[in-house]
Amino acid sequence: MSEPLLRAEGLTRHFKVGGLFSRKRLHAVDEVNFTIGKGEIVALVGESGSGKSTIARLLARVYKPTSGEIYFEGEPLSRIRSRKQRLAYSSDVPMVFQDPYSSINPAYRVSHGISRALTLHRRAMGRKARRNELQRVFDAVGLVPAGAASRKFPYELSGGQRQRVGFAQALAFRPKLIIADEPVSMLDVSIRIGILNLMTELREQEGVSFLYITHDVASARYIADRVLVMYGGHLVEQGPTDDVIHRPKHPYTQLLLAAVPDPRAPLGVSDASDVGEPPKVVDPEEGCRFRARCPYAIDRCEVETPLLRDIGPGRLVACHVAEADPQERRPAAVAGVEQR
Amino acid sequence: MTFQPVPATTEPTTTVPSSATGPPIPESRRGFGTDLWRAVARNRKAVVGVLLLLFFLVLSVFPGEIAPYSPTAEVFQPGLGPSWQHWFGTTAYGQDVLSQLIWGTRQSVVIAFAVGGLATALAVIVGVSAAYLGGISDGFLSLITDVILVIPIFPLIIVIAAYERNAGLFTLVIVLGALGWSYGARQLRAQTLSLRRRDFLEAARVRGERKSYVILHEILPTMTSLIVASFLGAALYAVLFAAGLQFIGLGDPNSQSWGTMLYWAENNEALGANMVLWAITPGVCVALLGAAFALLNYAFDEISNPALRLRKLDITGTRERPKDATITAPTTSDRILEVRGLSVAYASDEGPVVAVDNVDFDLHRGEFLGIVGESGCGKSTLMYAIARLLGPPFSGEITDGEVIFRGRDMVKLGDRQLRHIRWREFSVVMQSAMNALNPVLTIEAQMRDACKAHSKMSDKEIEKRSIEVLKLVSIDPIHLLSYPHQLSGGMRQRAMIAMALLFTPDLVIMDEPTSALDVVAQRSLMMQIKELQERLGFAVIFVTHDMSLVSHFSDRLLVMYAAQVAEFGNTRQLFDNPRHPYTRALLDAFPSIHGPRVRLTGIPGSPPDLARPPQGCRFAARCPHATPRSIAVEPPLFDVEGDLVRCFLYEESAAEENVRAGATEGVA
Repeated sequence: MSEPLLRAEGLTRHFKVGGLFSRKRLHAVDEVNFTIGKGEIVALVGESGSGKSTIARLLARVYKPTSGEIYFEGEPLSRIRSRKQRLAYSSDVPMVFQDPYSSINPAYRVSHGISRALTLHRRAMGRKARRNELQRVFDAVGLVPAGAASRKFPYELSGGQRQRVGFAQALAFRPKLIIADEPVSMLDVSIRIGILNLMTELREQEGVSFLYITHDVASARYIADRVLVMYGGHLVEQGPTDDVIHRPKHPYTQLLLAAVPDPRAPLGVSDASDVGEPPKVVDPEEGCRFRARCPYAIDRCEVETPLLRDIGPGRLVACHVAEADPQERRPAAVAGVEQR
Repeated sequence: MTFQPVPATTEPTTTVPSSATGPPIPESRRGFGTDLWRAVARNRKAVVGVLLLLFFLVLSVFPGEIAPYSPTAEVFQPGLGPSWQHWFGTTAYGQDVLSQLIWGTRQSVVIAFAVGGLATALAVIVGVSAAYLGGISDGFLSLITDVILVIPIFPLIIVIAAYERNAGLFTLVIVLGALGWSYGARQLRAQTLSLRRRDFLEAARVRGERKSYVILHEILPTMTSLIVASFLGAALYAVLFAAGLQFIGLGDPNSQSWGTMLYWAENNEALGANMVLWAITPGVCVALLGAAFALLNYAFDEISNPALRLRKLDITGTRERPKDATITAPTTSDRILEVRGLSVAYASDEGPVVAVDNVDFDLHRGEFLGIVGESGCGKSTLMYAIARLLGPPFSGEITDGEVIFRGRDMVKLGDRQLRHIRWREFSVVMQSAMNALNPVLTIEAQMRDACKAHSKMSDKEIEKRSIEVLKLVSIDPIHLLSYPHQLSGGMRQRAMIAMALLFTPDLVIMDEPTSALDVVAQRSLMMQIKELQERLGFAVIFVTHDMSLVSHFSDRLLVMYAAQVAEFGNTRQLFDNPRHPYTRALLDAFPSIHGPRVRLTGIPGSPPDLARPPQGCRFAARCPHATPRSIAVEPPLFDVEGDLVRCFLYEESAAEENVRAGATEGVA
């Protein structure tokens, strides 16, 4: 297989928690492997605290990994030394932030981020070329007319328009991979689709890959080619989008799918209820991190951390129980499920 | 999956005056230049401050041209009273007081600007670098700041000035500047700390900016107002302190300044003699220059923070309203809330913004009503109006209509009566529990406060009730002793709901209680709310922007668009057969996890500016069914099989129905 655009191997990030002399470590991301291909949209799905934003910041080099390595176009990131290399990487892999109300500096016109990107990363450009580039990226994200839009201050734009500015900034780098950290979760439902469509259009027209980070499985299904599911710092399932959505193997993926509100589904309150809490993984012991909430947990889950196993074309799942089709399996002991 | 490339859904770049949630409050930052001058010209404090400061500036620059005599020449008769030759009389040494005053302006102005500049520069450097660098640097710099802040400045200055006997201008500036920066530094540090978590700084770092660029070009420009305030504050303090020091004789007695004038006037017992003005006028000048800085400081605060400004709501001329069909449900005694013709307006610079326009609905005992709409559509304002929570900083006012809750018109109730029924008979659950809960009190303490404020329960009863309500929302009572930050997001919202249920109210109003949660927690919270509602029988008004969220839980749905009711009806009916084109478009904006993957389009365009609502149907600009008539004429609500729809498409079917209804009545 040829080298993918980006490959993470054994990616791990721990944070110190507690006071000055505390030796406790929060395991935000543990031993995560994945790849992102050229022109691919990969969705990283999980609840808050599952480690998905930490992965985004590891890829953006805001954090350094505790262990493990990220390879971009075959080159390990740990070998980046000079400012020139750092700039080259950050223009290949820009990031779009979750909150469009805080990700644009309110003191400047919205073109500020783009002109800074051009100044930093594409120095050779002349005045005219820069103006054309500004025009191009504003056009590409659907902020028209570009001239008027770029002269506005952030407070003059709606949330959806601000998020478009975020993507325009990313595009100004001529990027290869855009990390989009929950880019629509703060937006109104009615304009989310516009941003999601924008991402697929940018992929078609500019050939950009995306890592789309979200807790909304339905939107992941709408745009992604592949889905990675995270729980408690572990990657618990991955595979082609429709395969994962229609035949979820990991009990957590099943829970996530059951929780999606869907007005098209027949009305009536479903009985899938879960009052569990996402785990705080501080100095974890061996064992599956989902076991306390899992209706299928067996003794083995207490003592042995399940590793990702290959269970079909492109499908990986980290669960001791997930072998048979989940529809045929019965909860082992629903009454015994720990309710915290 | 690949889509056919389709032109992007474009949102025209029109000004949207509303923030993400809540009532439309204009944002604090404006562009520099023309906007600023206009704002200054409109602010009375600013105008007075600027004029005063200009007056003193002119005096300080051209004292020779303005002053009638030399300030030092002892050529007149000493101790003269005011006259046409000597407006403010003469000194005990035969100098003209007015001329001395005019010459003295220069030193005060120089001290004000020099100390202001020096102190502000120090404050910015220390405050911002402490916050941005963090760690040991922050500890060290903050320590210095705090030490200087707690040193009693006046005695210290006296000691320093006494060392440097007959301190000149330069010494004064250095001493005052070196001691006057700490307060500003603390404020700037706090502001920078709060900015550190803002994404635009992280965006700059990810972009590859250097630290110095981030501090100078990303952080500082966002703090202009604070820096200006720090400058004006330091200038004010410098004027007062310098005058004080010179008055007690620590300055150069031969210098031309207001403080020195006071010193000599005091030495010659001017107050007792005929030379009262010699003693009083320098003090008045100090006060006026100080007032100029203080006024400018207030004015700048108001200009950069429009929410502080008080605006008068001025509604002249009522709009012609189409006649709406009303709900024809039978009037039964179990209706607990009736909202009739409710309108709410906000004052803005562009005139009144009607955020809720003539809204009618009713609510039955134990009913679950969903209110949905985009941000800025007025749904939160409607909720605040019903709960009578519109007050500062939401300067909205109920301009028309009534809210009848269990027989009483809430609009007419006074604060005392409201407090009596609030929380006991109806309660409110806010959007973000982290903001609504007090971070430094335990859950138990907050429950106790709520109980004490609204009832005469004993401590024992309160504890018992607190445990009961926590159990209701499936939180272990052990968490009574927890602080809000120790709970997860889902648990905090549950705790909020538990607090809302302390007095088993008849109505719980919820403003997007789940929108900060992720899907799994959201789902489980919704289930919990529904179960509690069925068990305890309270009615719920649930405000949300996510229509799919309430699809399985609400009995009836009210869809709001641009301050008006667009559609109101049975939830099942609305989802199975949405009538208003806006409702249909909203439903089509949700990607599904079932069925084939289809490309969705969302809703093109953005909602109208409520300061200037369109003449016709408010959705017309985004509507695929818009007609010349709907663009020109505002449609009323039509009653279509018990469902209210604001759209001309249903005019005929509504009319037919009326005819049919009339016919059946005739037969009967």
